[in-house]
Amino acid sequence: MSWIKRSIRPEQLRELSLVALIIVALLIFGTQIENFLSARTFNRIASSVAIVGVVAVGQTLVVLTRNIDLSVGSIVGFSAYFVGMQLNGNPELPPLMAVLLACGVGALLGLVNGVLVAYGRVPSIITTLGTLAIFRMILVNYSDAKTVTTDMVPPWVPGLAQEALFSLGEFNLRPMVAVAIAVVLVFQLVLVYTQFGRRLYAIGSNPEAARFVGLPGRRIVLLAFVICGALAGLAGFMFLSRFGNITVVAGQGLELQSVAAVVVGGVNTFGGSGSVVGALLGAFLIDLLGQGLIRWLGISEFWRDAILGLLILLAVASDAVILNWLRRLWAPNELKTRTTSEAAPTPKESSHGV
Amino acid sequence: MTASTLPPPTLEMRAISKRFGSTQALDGVGLTLYPGEIHALLGENGAGKSTLIKIMTGVHQPDTGAILLDGSPVKIGSTIAAQGHGIAAIYQEPMMYPDLNVAENIFITHAGRGPIVRWRQMQREAEAILKQLDVQLDVRQPARGLTVATQQTVEIARALSLKVRVLIMDEPTAALSAHEVAQLFTLARRLRDQGVAILFISHRMEEVFLIADRVTIFRDGRLISSAPRADVTPESAIRAMAGRTVEQLFPRSKTVTDELLVSVRGLGKTGAFEGVSFELHKGEVLGFAGLVGARRTDVGLALFGIEPADSGELLIDGVAHRVRDPNQAMSLGIAYVSEDRRALGLSLPMSITANITLPTLRRYLSALGLIRGRAEAVDAEQFRKRLAIRASSVEVEVSKLSGGNQQKVMLSKWLNTRPRLLILDEPTRGIDVGAKAEVHQMIDDLAAQGLAIIMISSDLPEVLAMSDRVLVMREGRQMGIFSRGEATQERVLGAAMGQEALA
Amino acid sequence: MASSLRRLISWEGLLLLILLVVVAFNAAFTPVYLGVNNQVNLFQLSIEKIIVALVMAFIIINGEIDLSVASVMGLAACVLAYLFNQGVAMPLAVLGALGAGALCGAFNGFWVAYVGVPSLAVTLAGLIGYRGAARILLEDTSISGFPEWFNTLGQQPWLGPLPFALVLFFVLYLVALVVLNFSGIGRLVYVVGNNREVARYSGVRVPRLKLGLFIASGLVAALAGVLLAARLGAVRGNTADGFELDIITMVLLGGVSIFGGTGNLFGVGLAILIILNLRNGMSLVNITGNTQTGVVGVLLILSVLLPNLVQDVRAVLQRRRAQRKEVTRA
Repeated sequence: MSWIKRSIRPEQLRELSLVALIIVALLIFGTQIENFLSARTFNRIASSVAIVGVVAVGQTLVVLTRNIDLSVGSIVGFSAYFVGMQLNGNPELPPLMAVLLACGVGALLGLVNGVLVAYGRVPSIITTLGTLAIFRMILVNYSDAKTVTTDMVPPWVPGLAQEALFSLGEFNLRPMVAVAIAVVLVFQLVLVYTQFGRRLYAIGSNPEAARFVGLPGRRIVLLAFVICGALAGLAGFMFLSRFGNITVVAGQGLELQSVAAVVVGGVNTFGGSGSVVGALLGAFLIDLLGQGLIRWLGISEFWRDAILGLLILLAVASDAVILNWLRRLWAPNELKTRTTSEAAPTPKESSHGV
Repeated sequence: MTASTLPPPTLEMRAISKRFGSTQALDGVGLTLYPGEIHALLGENGAGKSTLIKIMTGVHQPDTGAILLDGSPVKIGSTIAAQGHGIAAIYQEPMMYPDLNVAENIFITHAGRGPIVRWRQMQREAEAILKQLDVQLDVRQPARGLTVATQQTVEIARALSLKVRVLIMDEPTAALSAHEVAQLFTLARRLRDQGVAILFISHRMEEVFLIADRVTIFRDGRLISSAPRADVTPESAIRAMAGRTVEQLFPRSKTVTDELLVSVRGLGKTGAFEGVSFELHKGEVLGFAGLVGARRTDVGLALFGIEPADSGELLIDGVAHRVRDPNQAMSLGIAYVSEDRRALGLSLPMSITANITLPTLRRYLSALGLIRGRAEAVDAEQFRKRLAIRASSVEVEVSKLSGGNQQKVMLSKWLNTRPRLLILDEPTRGIDVGAKAEVHQMIDDLAAQGLAIIMISSDLPEVLAMSDRVLVMREGRQMGIFSRGEATQERVLGAAMGQEALA
Repeated sequence: MASSLRRLISWEGLLLLILLVVVAFNAAFTPVYLGVNNQVNLFQLSIEKIIVALVMAFIIINGEIDLSVASVMGLAACVLAYLFNQGVAMPLAVLGALGAGALCGAFNGFWVAYVGVPSLAVTLAGLIGYRGAARILLEDTSISGFPEWFNTLGQQPWLGPLPFALVLFFVLYLVALVVLNFSGIGRLVYVVGNNREVARYSGVRVPRLKLGLFIASGLVAALAGVLLAARLGAVRGNTADGFELDIITMVLLGGVSIFGGTGNLFGVGLAILIILNLRNGMSLVNITGNTQTGVVGVLLILSVLLPNLVQDVRAVLQRRRAQRKEVTRA
């Protein structure tokens, strides 16, 4: 049993169990529901998971540092709208520029979040609750209540969501889905193989120790929010591609979906552990469960949110319970950290990150 | 080694003084650490050891004095600066990143490793360092599952990776088994042989004499002696640690009655303490002596129901009770005055009155649940007079009071619960001499009124002066109970350190 | 309490100033602004939010947070509408709605107080879950046609020019004021919020207190949801969506610290007035709801950011003063 502990990273265990759950769900739904394992289902799930997945990657980075970003939905909406308008005005805009524009706008908005949280020391829940409304306000005012429609953007844009890069029978791999997978892979590599990524984990795992040895916590948290914003911006572009019609309520609800994916995917709400692959698997499982349960139990799609809330609660509660249990295992000789060793660095810090 | 063959010192602390408020933590102490030497630092609680360590690791700055590294003066302005100078410390509670694996825990703090993490290389380097320490450990496992001993090993490996020159080991053995201690000492010796200067702080006399090359003794913030180990014996060390001229023993009144109030037999709590047994009469003051880590506070918390015991029995007035929570304890007449008045004992933004009535709030509520302010204030005033709390009124915020007055408010709060057994945890820590005397007088008065009192204190003269009997604990075990006549500084300190009773 | 009083006075002084500016500005735009009708109207539009803000103040002072209040409001309204639609007598339907709210609160409180899950996480899940439950009940439909007496609760004058809901708010405000400042529970709310361990060491039953607060939060949110249904005359699955922003802002802007332990209802009252007048004023010059919400978002962030900045400035000044002393000593 210990070789498992040694050769597998802790988050990989969660990832494996998610894969197992997905397989189980697929089996159940596949046998119980007609035509469930069809190409249409796959394409539908893949398209919606692609967008949530990209946002969830950014959310993962933020949650790893013991923060949260509730404004991603507004960033997605704004970016979608902004790029849509720009493309409408300059139809010759090269695709790469459009994508960079989306990411840039998102990064700028993420920068606002990051500065407020890391340097203003405003807890991320408050900051992003506020910027959720502020960014939406900016979108509404910028749009002047006009809508972006599909015919306003060059045809290659919706093509990203519809055409297939290649097909396996009827199973299409659409560019959007490929982008999402690529993003996940890239950031998985970043989190595992770069100093920045590892420091994210360190800060979430033991913020006091990180500060004690001089890790640049504030800069890292700022970067996390900027990247999260940039990825939300990218998701906004994908959103534009998929839906075409962008109203002022575009993107609403994505923040909660991304948090759900992240939490279910094993990113510990106390920071320090989890992975983007897990977040993607979480997003996939949630969407799969949603689609499957609706068809199987014949319940309305309005059950989705209730189930989502329950899933988040279960994931978070088990995190709390497991964490307490692990803490007790880890330090069996400690009672509570009172004034035992006076020379040790003093802990005592709110769990608000940074 | 003789003086003439000593290598130049790695770290030298000269005439270091540090004052915190009214306490002189360090008074002109000096300490010299030579490379390739394990230097033990002995001293009671409050002798100044931890303050010195904090200065060495950059947490505090000395008020006066100099620090010389390889002969040149340096300023250790922060923990990062200390690390840069090659000064590292390991403590009882290792500083790990539980979600990262061993190799990462060793190297995460390194600044210059570049933006890309090369796992296999990091693994190899980690294994190489562990090989230097002759330790077998799988560097890929997460730090969370490791024992304290292994985590300390990782911390030493971390220090080694940072090219440590001065390693401070502060009470590292408290959480280790005998076997793990032996392993730790082997590591320490290996480091020493590589030229590292090691400062070793421990209360375990037998360990000190097993591993140290040099022994320095602090007492009350001053350097008492420093000599090669061969020139020191456990007895002489204890005498140096304890040997104050006790000016005047507090004139305790004869308050002990023969009415037995409390009887404790074999009290224990897994992971904290075991086998605590004593009897306590009304009017008696039982002192709990011991050094840091003796777990005396845990006994207090068990008796008060905050961290209940899981074995043994407690009899009050001959009736057995299992104390499960503080409310039950209070109904039995037990009160516990915490050692940490700022974090656990007082609600700092609240008034004196609000603090005093907090445990007994129900007494001051009207039928509708509203607080009867006048009744509160009257009681608070009474305590203010009785304990001579210096404040302009009882509505003053307790955060504004001096340490001594804060202590008095805490005392009032618990006296207001009309206890029969009063447990005082470090009642005079951090307060000035005048207030200290007042508290002692208060304790004497309370005993005269028939309270049974347990006084946990790390201040040896205080324990000897105030106690009718002294119970000594060491690392969660009871070492013995001395009567007032039997108890001397050497005997009590010796028992606290695990030595045989000295004459 | 003296220095905290001083600190609060300066914060509340600031709030009072802002309020006067806002009111003056609005009155300059609209001549009838200060008239009774407009003022009553001003309150009416947000009456449900401000009722919940009262109990949110307790929760935040206690060191927790409840993000699910708006969803509970919506769920309670949906339960009410659903039961009514099924033919249940209105008074019973109201009880059902209140019961649903209390249940949600108890559910939240259980996880926070007895399992130890952070309230942020639990109530975030609740925000999603209870909203989902509301949607399950009502799906895409809208239910209206409530009895006449019900619909007048929020709108028709009941006591002089004041509608029932407004009177209820004033009563609740007074009750909350008395409880927070003069009752045993109020004091315990502060103590636990300031330092949970001190309370525990003094024999306070902390889990019970927290559970009670969350149940109260659910109950009051349900009450607000019922009043909202009465005022709007119709209920949808997304009723009360997004209200938590205003509610939390009213509390934090009012000087209650997000970290718990400090704050009072006087400041919250001022903050409520500021936000109500601000929204009203913005409506009068045809600023859209979204922009109004954005402005509230700015206020929310500022209410935490500004004290932090002031603290930083003060720390820098203190350090400089200490350095100057050292120089003169040397």
